[in-house]
Amino acid sequence: MEGIVGVFRELDSTVDAIEAVKKLRAGNIRVYSPAPRHELEHILNTGPSIVRRYTLIGGLLGATFGYWIPIWISDYWPLVVGGKVVPSWVPYTIISFELMVLIGSLATVLGLFIVSRIPRITMTVGYDERFSDANFGVWVECPPDRQADVKDALTKHGAVEVRGEQ
Amino acid sequence: MATVARPRVDTGSNIPEANIQLPSVETYGQVTDEIRRTLNPTKAWLAGLMVAVLALVIGIVAWMWQVYMGLGVAGYSPPVMWGVYIVTFVFWVGIGHAGTLISAILYLFRAGFRTTIYRCAEAMTVFAIMTAGLFPILHLGRPWKFFWLIPYPNWRLIWPQFKSPLVWDVFAILTYLTVSTTFLYLGLLPDFAALRDRERDPLRKRIYGVLSFGWRNSDIEWRHFARAYLFLAAFSTPLVLSVHSTVSFDFAMANTPGWHATLFAPYFVAGAIFSGIGMVFTIIIPIRRWFNLKHYVTLNHLDAAAKLCLFTALVVATAYITEFFIGWYGGNEIEHSFWYNRVFGQWWWAAWIMLTCNTILPLSLFWQKLRRNTTWLFTLSLFINLGMWFERFVIFDPSLSHEFEPWQWTRYAPTYVDWCILLGSFGWFSMWFLLFIKNFPVVAISEVKEIVPPPLRVAHAVEGIEVTGMHLAYEPETPGERD
Repeated sequence: MEGIVGVFRELDSTVDAIEAVKKLRAGNIRVYSPAPRHELEHILNTGPSIVRRYTLIGGLLGATFGYWIPIWISDYWPLVVGGKVVPSWVPYTIISFELMVLIGSLATVLGLFIVSRIPRITMTVGYDERFSDANFGVWVECPPDRQADVKDALTKHGAVEVRGEQ
Repeated sequence: MATVARPRVDTGSNIPEANIQLPSVETYGQVTDEIRRTLNPTKAWLAGLMVAVLALVIGIVAWMWQVYMGLGVAGYSPPVMWGVYIVTFVFWVGIGHAGTLISAILYLFRAGFRTTIYRCAEAMTVFAIMTAGLFPILHLGRPWKFFWLIPYPNWRLIWPQFKSPLVWDVFAILTYLTVSTTFLYLGLLPDFAALRDRERDPLRKRIYGVLSFGWRNSDIEWRHFARAYLFLAAFSTPLVLSVHSTVSFDFAMANTPGWHATLFAPYFVAGAIFSGIGMVFTIIIPIRRWFNLKHYVTLNHLDAAAKLCLFTALVVATAYITEFFIGWYGGNEIEHSFWYNRVFGQWWWAAWIMLTCNTILPLSLFWQKLRRNTTWLFTLSLFINLGMWFERFVIFDPSLSHEFEPWQWTRYAPTYVDWCILLGSFGWFSMWFLLFIKNFPVVAISEVKEIVPPPLRVAHAVEGIEVTGMHLAYEPETPGERD
């Protein structure tokens, strides 16, 4: 993996630079920012997150498991109290709800980790420690013959530092 | 291209509006630096930690004495077999609720004032639930067999009864602890990355690196993070309402005077949120002062939180009035006798501590000057903590000591073992909280950056760029304040 990373101080410069680099069609763009900004999301035009699928599947599994476990245990150890039915779904709804929340939440975090590709043992190329503090970053993955164009575009739109990395 | 001027912020004004702006916080770098600075240990912090550990040791010694002597030293004798421990258990579970309200429910409602206080509140939730979780074990005569409480098919002739509210409680509390911890940790991920990148000490840098899971603030990470955070908040919201409802079922399902009421679930939830907000004030007011964070946790934020406190106090007061009215007017002799004994008879002193602290004193928050007076807010919060502990005392022990038959009427008084274990629980909670605030950011770095206007080139901005944070529309004519 090789490409160019540009460090920016201002949000609007970053947005301008992304717009320019997109027009060049030089390669994949990755943007870093100290806080989430919807301006960056709009300019990158990314689709909705698929984390919600993990949430849905986790929640459904949790709710099902939450009914199944008490029903199975009740049938496994059937003590009749007051002549009432042994597996009773009404009180088991509480267990089902709690497990839906529990497994749904854990599945959501698992989904976040999978789709964001974390945990990450080492920092990949194109990252700069300033990006978690006060600066914005634009990483463009591009072949050597396109790097000069990308460098020009980033510098022209206000990058305070532009460098190649691989 | 459009030209957008940066909004004018009049930092000299002190207009009492509950807006979220932080006029004294101007750059992203300032946010990182100032919040990082709170991690440096001080002598006052160390002294506080030692006091907390001492309180914890007192509690441990008292508990060991109780294990040796038996539960009789805790003042239990039939029919009062639930006392300070169940009171304190419910108290700590309740404390946790405001943390989730502030961090999750107010997040869904886009209430911006939560941003600077939610980290403290969420940490408070986790440590409060950890504290509450000790009490079922402390209440056991043979605590080393605590795993008998966990319901699963076994060969010990213990029937796993999933229709019992006590079993629901196990699921509710463990789910609440897990989800709250996950929510707290998820919010900390970007902050760990910020600390990792600014840390110069190699060991601490490595620790923050591991804790951050290699977070890089990339657009992909933020996109999925925002969605995951939203879903966790959405899961936590009904969880807040369900957990204390489930705790209330421990009592409401029993045919005991004063307990067997459909009011209990909303009554408990409102009380829990009210008590938790009281504890948030107890914690956040000293922190903003000692850590020089007055320009982050502004008077506007405290003002808004005080309004929430007032609202929940009114809900709690309505629950008291409803409960008392039904006891007086319901036509049930047992309930009437119990109600009279609780409010005007044997337990009048506890009931009136509860009423004074939880319904009369919070009415002071109708006055804006008092909502913005940190000394009064802190003092009031101590009264609320006291009042809410007594609320649980008034609910549990008068009922057990005044049941249907006159031979069941008795008295109950906590012993020194109860008080020492109660003190120990505060020591346990404070110890974890103090360790937290010196190792992790006490204010959410990345979320504060969201409400700080982003850096822009002078007199130039691309069309569509907002010059403010994401949470609320900025109103230049309504500046924040500096106190």
